[in-house]
Amino acid sequence: MMLCVIMTYFSVGRGRITARIYLLQYGVHADPDSRIRMNFRLRDSTVDDCKDIARMLMELAEYEKVTDLVKIGQKDLEQDGFSNTPFFRGVIAEVPEDQKSKDGHVKVGYALYFFSYSSWKGRCVYLEDLYVMPEFRGKGIGKALMSKVAQLGLEVGCTQMNFIVLNWNKSSLEFYTRQGCIDITEKLGYHWMSCGENALKKLANSDPVDES
Amino acid sequence: MAKFILRKAEPKDVSDILRLIKELAKFEEMEEQVKLTEKDLLEDGFGDHPFYHCLVAEIPEEQSSDGYTVIAFAMYYFTYDPWIGKLLYLEDFYVMQQYRGLGIGSKILQVLSETAVKTRCSSMHFIVAENNTKSIEFYKHRGATDLSYEEGWRLFAINKMELRKEATPAAKIG
Repeated sequence: MMLCVIMTYFSVGRGRITARIYLLQYGVHADPDSRIRMNFRLRDSTVDDCKDIARMLMELAEYEKVTDLVKIGQKDLEQDGFSNTPFFRGVIAEVPEDQKSKDGHVKVGYALYFFSYSSWKGRCVYLEDLYVMPEFRGKGIGKALMSKVAQLGLEVGCTQMNFIVLNWNKSSLEFYTRQGCIDITEKLGYHWMSCGENALKKLANSDPVDES
Repeated sequence: MAKFILRKAEPKDVSDILRLIKELAKFEEMEEQVKLTEKDLLEDGFGDHPFYHCLVAEIPEEQSSDGYTVIAFAMYYFTYDPWIGKLLYLEDFYVMQQYRGLGIGSKILQVLSETAVKTRCSSMHFIVAENNTKSIEFYKHRGATDLSYEEGWRLFAINKMELRKEATPAAKIG
């Protein structure tokens, strides 16, 4: 049923049928938890979305009071996400014009992901970021974004999706565990290690003979 | 000191790469978890858009004690943090036991770090089992930070069955 409607929209175009198709183009989600109906659609991000992705990144950083940790901007996102070898991919959540945010935005959420690899299982997908603007939360958009990334991963043969959660975020930890996710750090004792910029430069210039 | 060369893996190396992956998994007591095949490694590492990159260490045949000349490897790929940009993720890093202590591991780490710096990566990430205290010390000695310990990050996984459940029909619009 949904597929027929979308094909009708593309073949007819704009005009007197616009109002009806407009409603049907955007999926209507009834979040069983909130009983609130929200019109939104999900689509692959394009280079033109980088301005809004950068805006929403900063919103999150401002909320967490860590804007000084954000070192990249719109141009970096454009270069890193939309060249011949993209380092990430994105899904955008968009609402109709008449439901735009207080500040006039129709792009109200995003998920950033990339493909990774497990030497045990092969192709994986890594969910790096997922964000929904506060005034659009509780309406199923976050869950839909996560589902979309899972779907995209399965389509290219991924057998696993990974992401990280902070240990104090009890409600998220419980939510994901209830969904069947496994806390690899807790279960297998794997710790996430990072060699930052200074350590990298030192290692790159080191003399391995002295190190061994 | 053993003579060895470090080079980019080639399609002919997939059999050795799988052998070394299994040896490392055996060391971690997870050998039965390795489902990957040589065919997967070939398809995923040497197409137009590889899912991974690999370095291998090779010794001359006359120095080999067991017939193997590919005696170490590192598997890595590039990841992304939207706050700091590109990162290099080290998926697997292993030197066969009888060839350790000869500078091979350190040389691999140096070349990986050079690669990371050249491609303007902000950081190199990897995971280590917390009971592998020797490895943790090795990396901390070289400036690595344990983000799980220092910042409380926990790595989560959703496996295929749950992934299918997650990819519900409601998400297929748009």
